[in-house]
Amino acid sequence: MSVLEAKNIDKFFFNATTTQVLKKVSFQIDRGEFVSVMGKSGCGKSTLLYILSTMDTDYKGELILDGELITGKSSEYLSRIRNEKIGFVFQFHYLLHEFSTLENVMIPALKLGKYTREEIEHRAMEKLRIFDMQDHALKKANQLSGGQKQRVAIARALINDPLLIMGDEPTGNLDKKNSDIVYAKFKELAQDFGQTMLIVTHDPEFAAGTDRTIEMEDGRVVSFE
Amino acid sequence: MNWSLILEIARALMLARIKQTLIAAVGVMFSITMFVALLGFMNGLNGLLDGLILNRTPHIRLYNEIKPNPNQPIDQSREFSGGVNIIRSIKPSTSRLSIYNSASIIQTLESDPRVLGVSPKISTQVFFNVGTIDLTGLVNGIDVEKEAQLFAFTDYVTEGNYGDLNQINTIILGKGAADRMLASIGDVIQVTTAQGNRMQLKVVGYYQSGLGDFDNVNSYASLSTVQKMLGEPPSYLTDIQVKLHDFNLAPPMARELEEVFEIDADDIQTVNAQFETGTQIRNLISYAVGITLLVVSGFGIYNILNMMIYEKLDTIAILKAIGFSPQDVNRVFITIALSIGLVGGVAGLIFGYLAGLAIDQVPFETQALPTIKTFPVDYNPKYYIIGGTFSLITTYLAGYFPARKASGVDPVEIIRGK
Repeated sequence: MSVLEAKNIDKFFFNATTTQVLKKVSFQIDRGEFVSVMGKSGCGKSTLLYILSTMDTDYKGELILDGELITGKSSEYLSRIRNEKIGFVFQFHYLLHEFSTLENVMIPALKLGKYTREEIEHRAMEKLRIFDMQDHALKKANQLSGGQKQRVAIARALINDPLLIMGDEPTGNLDKKNSDIVYAKFKELAQDFGQTMLIVTHDPEFAAGTDRTIEMEDGRVVSFE
Repeated sequence: MNWSLILEIARALMLARIKQTLIAAVGVMFSITMFVALLGFMNGLNGLLDGLILNRTPHIRLYNEIKPNPNQPIDQSREFSGGVNIIRSIKPSTSRLSIYNSASIIQTLESDPRVLGVSPKISTQVFFNVGTIDLTGLVNGIDVEKEAQLFAFTDYVTEGNYGDLNQINTIILGKGAADRMLASIGDVIQVTTAQGNRMQLKVVGYYQSGLGDFDNVNSYASLSTVQKMLGEPPSYLTDIQVKLHDFNLAPPMARELEEVFEIDADDIQTVNAQFETGTQIRNLISYAVGITLLVVSGFGIYNILNMMIYEKLDTIAILKAIGFSPQDVNRVFITIALSIGLVGGVAGLIFGYLAGLAIDQVPFETQALPTIKTFPVDYNPKYYIIGGTFSLITTYLAGYFPARKASGVDPVEIIRGK
């Protein structure tokens, strides 16, 4: 069963001249798949990811998440979908520096409001434990190293048991050692937890380790394998 | 909606920029302090100045006015009823100044629930004989206890004992009149009434209202002294002064009493319209100044929130990416603005009250106002309520536009722009 399906996605940038950055992009991702998106920089892979993440709503075509058409929904509704069904990992860690590591992981769950605060705290600690970050739970986010921040960010993406995790070059800003650790964690999520993931990368090594690689060139999908 | 989370995020953002947040709150505090202190002081002064006149003025005064009879015989004649009748040189009819049936009027008024109290009075013109000179003056015959109770008579007796007025043949002289006659307490002065009766009166005190013209002319004696002076019986009264619980009822009630008792009745609003106007304008000015202060501090909050939003674009973007709706972000920033308003407002009210207490200690002594020793301050809770409400309203408005800007932040733009 498909978790995410993109149908004929077109995206234009209007910047003095109109440029089409995505041209009839269509593909689908099934449950449990670990998919990477590869391509040269400027080929539109990040743009595609932001459309898939529902944050960018200015596109043509249809986007179906979990069997539901989400194109054209209100921003209020999309926020709820992002909160509940999508976990996001960015290139530049993006933790909230005003909060502790633990609170950072808890916030999406507090927002969702499905569990009590105690349960959420317990669950957040569990997620941190997966990434060996439990000892840093009470540190402020800005006291962590880059690799540690990224691991916390992945833990945060997991807190609401999302349908799908999206990553925008999650290892792009890390050194080799940290990059390997993060990569290993993604692999572990895919194998041990069957987590559906869609990761944009330009690291061929990373892409090689995924179930499937969508290759993009000049706004088009050129290969699904 | 998960308000505790919104509050938690708002708190974290404020703590991250605690200095700026405090400065904004101090701005609000300062303006609320000034607002409350200014209004309290202004209205204290207003109350004092109005009190000069209004305390002493009955809400309704019943009296007989000397005037021409409005029902002239020609108007009652059927023969001339169709035309316009012009009569020249009408003279006032012979009517007496004393109020008919005064005892029963007073009784009726005293049982009226709207009435706080009734004080009878006789006003008569006299000459004070000083050597070969006659000075004109007005002697007011009063019921001493009632006058003290209803019209703060004792506040204005600056020297002597007002109780001595209950003895027969005593007088409390206006300060101006006493100075002119060189009469000191214990002296006996001679008074001649308009009817020619002469009488010796002993000076037992001075009366000083703060209005020079008033004090030059008016003096006080007891009802019985004045009745004796005029050779009139104890039922003789020229004025009945009525004080009401709510003086706003005075105009309609004056009309009503006029009809019921067939008498002339003046209400305080008609007689002293200018005081009302003066008070209103002074109030208007103090509100204008206070609200200006608040608006200025509102701009301060606006600036600080705007800066905070620029600094926290990353935070806003990430909140949106992990599922906060534009409305949630809006609420976070409105909460910040309102918290600043609330903290600043409450501190402002406390400091405003303290400032009021301080002003209350500043000595303020003037000849014209014998009972006032320090600046008057009005601690009416109304100003505190208005100040508190306005602090929340201005901070809400100051937070509204920055919050709207924050809720409109496009997370994609921020995340990609990195």
